[in-house]
Amino acid sequence: MCGYFLAAGPPTGAWAADFREIAMASTTITLSLVILLPVLAVPLVLALASRLGPRVGYLTAAAPLGSAGLLAWIAASAGSQPRVILEIPWVPQLGVNLSFLVDGLSIFYGFVICAIGVLVCWYAAEYLGRKYAHARFYSCLLFFMAAMLGTVFSNNLLLLFVFWELTGVASFLLIGFFHESDESRRGARQALLVTAATGLCMLVGIILLGLASGTYSLARLADGSLSDYKDVGWITASCVLLLVGAFGKSAQFPFQFWLPGAMAAPTPVSAYLHSATMVKLGVFLTGRIFPIFHSLELWFWLVCGVGFFTMLLGAFLALRSNDLKAILAYSTVSQLGFLIGAYGVGSKTGIQADTLHVLSHVLYKGSLFMTAGIVDHCTGLRDVRRLGGLGRYMPVTAFSAAIGVAALAGLPLTTGFISKELLLADLVDAKAWVWFALVVISATLTVAFAARLFFNVFTGSKPDALSVHRPGWAIQTPPLLLAMAALILGAFPGLLDGTLNAIKVAGLQEEEPIHLALWHGFNLEVLTTALIILCGGGLYLLCQKSGWKRAEIPGFLRFDVAFERGLDGLSVFSKKLTLALRADWPPAYLPIVIFFLLISLAGTVAVSSTRFFEGFSAIDISLSPLHTFVAFMIAASLVGVIVLRRWTTQLIALSVAGFFLTFYFVLYRAPDLAMTQILVESASVVMILLLLSRFPSSQLLRSEEKREAKGRIFRVILSGGVGLVMTCLVLFADRHSHPDPIGPKYLELSKPLAEGTNAVNTILVDFRGFDTLGEITVLLVATLGALGLMMRYKRGRAGNDPASAPGFFLEKKRRP
Amino acid sequence: MQIETALLVGLLFAVSVYLLLHKSFVRILFGFVTLTNATNLFLISMSGDPDGKRAPILGEGSGPIVDPLPQALVLTAIVIGFGLTIYLIMLLYRIFLDAKTTDASKLFLPEADDE
Repeated sequence: MCGYFLAAGPPTGAWAADFREIAMASTTITLSLVILLPVLAVPLVLALASRLGPRVGYLTAAAPLGSAGLLAWIAASAGSQPRVILEIPWVPQLGVNLSFLVDGLSIFYGFVICAIGVLVCWYAAEYLGRKYAHARFYSCLLFFMAAMLGTVFSNNLLLLFVFWELTGVASFLLIGFFHESDESRRGARQALLVTAATGLCMLVGIILLGLASGTYSLARLADGSLSDYKDVGWITASCVLLLVGAFGKSAQFPFQFWLPGAMAAPTPVSAYLHSATMVKLGVFLTGRIFPIFHSLELWFWLVCGVGFFTMLLGAFLALRSNDLKAILAYSTVSQLGFLIGAYGVGSKTGIQADTLHVLSHVLYKGSLFMTAGIVDHCTGLRDVRRLGGLGRYMPVTAFSAAIGVAALAGLPLTTGFISKELLLADLVDAKAWVWFALVVISATLTVAFAARLFFNVFTGSKPDALSVHRPGWAIQTPPLLLAMAALILGAFPGLLDGTLNAIKVAGLQEEEPIHLALWHGFNLEVLTTALIILCGGGLYLLCQKSGWKRAEIPGFLRFDVAFERGLDGLSVFSKKLTLALRADWPPAYLPIVIFFLLISLAGTVAVSSTRFFEGFSAIDISLSPLHTFVAFMIAASLVGVIVLRRWTTQLIALSVAGFFLTFYFVLYRAPDLAMTQILVESASVVMILLLLSRFPSSQLLRSEEKREAKGRIFRVILSGGVGLVMTCLVLFADRHSHPDPIGPKYLELSKPLAEGTNAVNTILVDFRGFDTLGEITVLLVATLGALGLMMRYKRGRAGNDPASAPGFFLEKKRRP
Repeated sequence: MQIETALLVGLLFAVSVYLLLHKSFVRILFGFVTLTNATNLFLISMSGDPDGKRAPILGEGSGPIVDPLPQALVLTAIVIGFGLTIYLIMLLYRIFLDAKTTDASKLFLPEADDE
């Protein structure tokens, strides 16, 4: 193991180097433990799940708690604004190492994953009833945690990709946890396909970036400058592809549809994966590659455009949904757009307080999902239209929800207010009025559905059909903790100053220290926020008056339906194509295969035809009389094979051709070949004779006369084309032989190294002995296969049927 | 220059493809054997025009020697081609026993599968 400090500068003297090495080794071990601890806890969870039942969730919480503790130790020892790279060699030849980057961004995300992990395990222990498969649930959850931690700490982009896809696999298992339900399986499949497909785009982007820059290390890429790299086109392409990966994971337009589908997961999973952690990976990646790409013109337009448009779309869809979790899912889509868009606005010097935006969203959205789960748990319903008046039954939950929606709407005294103010200020500074308008409109819509989330669920009168049981304290505590954090940090934002400044990342965030305050003076942003709240409230009242009649997602925005249709259509299409191509029937597919073979070969010849034909007229075209005679004899007998009617005469013609070919090998000064060819030819003829004598002559004759007449012209054209191309290839190869062939070297070495005079023999048994071994193996396999074909023949057929022979030579020949 | 060889290779390939595209087992088998021969000849032609050269056996006479490597490769190819031919013969016989036809177009069809 080895590692090095980048930020600390070169160590002075041998002693310092040693000391650092030891310090780094221990940090590497600790970081590996942070990532591996959840996985290490899996066997324990599996062992105790059946004994502890639902309470195993509390045990599971110990793993992220331990990771958080170790992470705190790393953060403390790394100091302020840390930047440590830890490397464990893996495939150093390819530049692929287990390389981890510990800096402000990864420490921040690591803490979020661990902290929310603890709360979610706690919550799940209370939420999941006795009947669920706890072992499976918690082991998937722990597996997911490890993958998430690995992703955020990866320094090598390829390593990041591996962990990234692992989170997708884990989320597939968790979304499909209720695998008996159709909806659950569909949601899981959608999520997996979308995130894996966009992940593959990301991989292409990573490889392009690696080829263009010569490194996969994020730290080194962030230090470099785009102008040093090979090709602007490659850089642009890799930027777009990496962003596609980020957009897919974070459910940005046009991938926004998978997140609501993933709500089929148990609510703790939704709270963890689909609000706090996994969908944040897109935001994380956008932040990670911000220092690399932000100087591109494209960055601003693509990131802002997709981000803010998704924000508007998500808010619109949330307003028109009725399911509690669907509303929250679309609002998550919307808020993720907001977070990603913020990276587009960043000026050349960096971003302001992006971690604050993320933190704020994690706090209130996690809390809101958990309260939605509690409502579902206590009433069995998630449809907003049929809920109401729950505040009396669950005041604590109502309180958490109130703070959550206040933060979602961006009301003062919550973290949501602070982070939105800061972003609006950024937009005003950048004079990006189009994005400003988009944000204002979506924020207005957000206020309206946030109000609905609270007032229509917790206030008013309870519908008579609704039966409620009161939730326990333990399940209400995790959302309350998150909500209190959102409230306290929102009311006293100065508390965050130190932390936010300590975890700054060079190149990503602005250099100058942040000072957060509740009141920044009377300015455009405050005015806008007041306007947003007023308009949003008005919109809520308007919708309330109309009874939310239009709350339904319009058909053209049901991307999930279109996606499912596309998937079904794909399988129908491939089935039809397979049937049309008759892939199970050689007479149909063989011409197609040969046709494409011909095209590719002819293409090769045509491409190099200029080299081929240059000096062609100068070639000596004199024919050797002996060669020509033998060639003519072979040709004549081949024509005989085609023209003759009876299979006996055809076989004779075929073997004549074979024996003349032996002579042709002699002309090529190949005595060994000639001998082998004679033996093989004789043996083949005997075997063919044995086979054909078993076929009934009636069938043989019939096949010649009737069926073969059809399609003769087509066959002639195709085979003529193949023959022409092969002739060209031989001539071409003859013209352009390799300047330094390997054959003469074998000739030279034959005597001194292999003690043999026949170079062909020494090549076969000495120089390329393994080829000969392979050849013998092929013969053995062919023999075994042929034997198997005969021995496994079914017994018990009618005795007088010539087709009932159990073996080839093994029984006496019957008279038909 | 190996014009006659080139033409012969072309003819061998053309005949083999022509035969392979038939439906009769006999023709397919003959096409396969021809294809083996065509490929072997194609490979040996890579050793260049043999006129005026000696066989690759040292210690006899003097002058240029042909390239031994294609010969070694073709030797392997002949033997493997033989193995495959035998396997094909057995396979065709087995198919004939099972399906009672020597017509490839009658195989794999739902209506032909009367068992």
